[in-house]
Amino acid sequence: MENIKLIVNFLGQLLPAINITLIVSLSSIILGSLLGLLLAAARLSQSVILRVLASIYVSVIRATPSIIMIFLVYYGMPLLFNGWFHTNIDGWNRMYFVIIALTLLFSAPVSEIMRSAYESISKGQMEAGLLVGMSPFQTFYRIILPQAFVVALPNFANSVVNLLKEGALTFTIGVVDMVAKAQMIVANNSGGYAWQTYCALALIYWVISLAIDKGVSLVEKSYQKKRKTIAV
Amino acid sequence: MLTIEGLKKSYAGHDILKGISFNVNKGDVISIIGPSGSGKTTLLRTITTLEEADGGHISFAGIDNDFQKLNGKDINTIRRNVGFVFQNYNLFNNKTALQNITEGLIVARKVKKSEAKKIALEALERVGLTDRQNHYPSQLSGGQQQRVGIARAIALNPQVIFFDEPTSALDPELVGEVLKVMQDLANSGTTMVVVTHQMNFARDVSNRVIFMADGYIVEQGSPKKIFENPSEERTKKFLTDILSNV
Repeated sequence: MENIKLIVNFLGQLLPAINITLIVSLSSIILGSLLGLLLAAARLSQSVILRVLASIYVSVIRATPSIIMIFLVYYGMPLLFNGWFHTNIDGWNRMYFVIIALTLLFSAPVSEIMRSAYESISKGQMEAGLLVGMSPFQTFYRIILPQAFVVALPNFANSVVNLLKEGALTFTIGVVDMVAKAQMIVANNSGGYAWQTYCALALIYWVISLAIDKGVSLVEKSYQKKRKTIAV
Repeated sequence: MLTIEGLKKSYAGHDILKGISFNVNKGDVISIIGPSGSGKTTLLRTITTLEEADGGHISFAGIDNDFQKLNGKDINTIRRNVGFVFQNYNLFNNKTALQNITEGLIVARKVKKSEAKKIALEALERVGLTDRQNHYPSQLSGGQQQRVGIARAIALNPQVIFFDEPTSALDPELVGEVLKVMQDLANSGTTMVVVTHQMNFARDVSNRVIFMADGYIVEQGSPKKIFENPSEERTKKFLTDILSNV
């Protein structure tokens, strides 16, 4: 009982920091999806150079542990900007570095998800669109994309949950997110109540992940209704 | 109305079409028959620009040009003046039967929604599927899907409709309903070019039969001539083989 009270108390202290976690995650999801879309387009393009570059990028990024990526961006980007553009970005909000690192990390799996979803839609759908007079873009936008979206959704949600968890490394470069907050609480208590604190933190991550899963399955169900086979 | 001359197409060094010439007049119902791999499907796909031709000339819908010189505008013109019925239907899976038909009308032809719906319902009525208008393709049988595919093609009122083995993917008991719809279309004066293995359709419905083998048109003529009095050995052998298998 005592423990539950403590956990609830810690929840109250941790939750105000959730906005950092949400800003970092949402920005990375949006930017990472856009970058992933470009990568997927590059991997599906006619140009051999684009295809090779994109696939090298994807395989390198996928092989980079998140914490290393965050450090690479945090320590490497200011040097790069200094050397190439003679711009000093040391004063940037540290959150930006995390967002950039997570965007890069997220773009790789997302590009693969988008590419395979696109490829799972039969070529005949495009041909049928062209032969009722629609342009390739109209057919892509109105026929291919809605179908590929449904195919991509479960894997996409999986990647989002992964990203959310990798975002827990944000604290490593000194951004005060929920994890950093939890560490402070433990330090303030001289190392006491550590497991109750982290239990509260885990609960928050569970709820967010469950909400994502639930949201996705609701969207999926509404789409599957359309496809459910009725005995004719 | 449609004239093709010297159409050539090869894939990876294999010549699939070795110079095909034929013409389609308004109201023609032409059956293209021949063994598998003779280039029948490729012929339809190159004429409708789904595949790029390697040589040849087309005159159709105001275009009179070599295939290789067609620009984007010409290609659009061709696509907007043909209808295509696919072997595996290729209905838009995310659209209902009705939407499958209105899609091209509204998006490509800029027809008003209410008008498009009216046209689509008429087309569905012609294929006898008014009661399935709100079904998705996955909720329809193969025969029904193909009839929607035909309705989608006729709603656009094209100059000619190409059928690429429209009954080959169907269970045998569903072939009849699709052939019936096609026969009605033919009787109503629709110009049709049909790649088919249904010899009864070729013989009884079409006014001209083209026999293709190895990328050539071996011979063409009235169904009576091709089926009863073919002049080429190759045609005789094909017909003997296929009729003895029935």
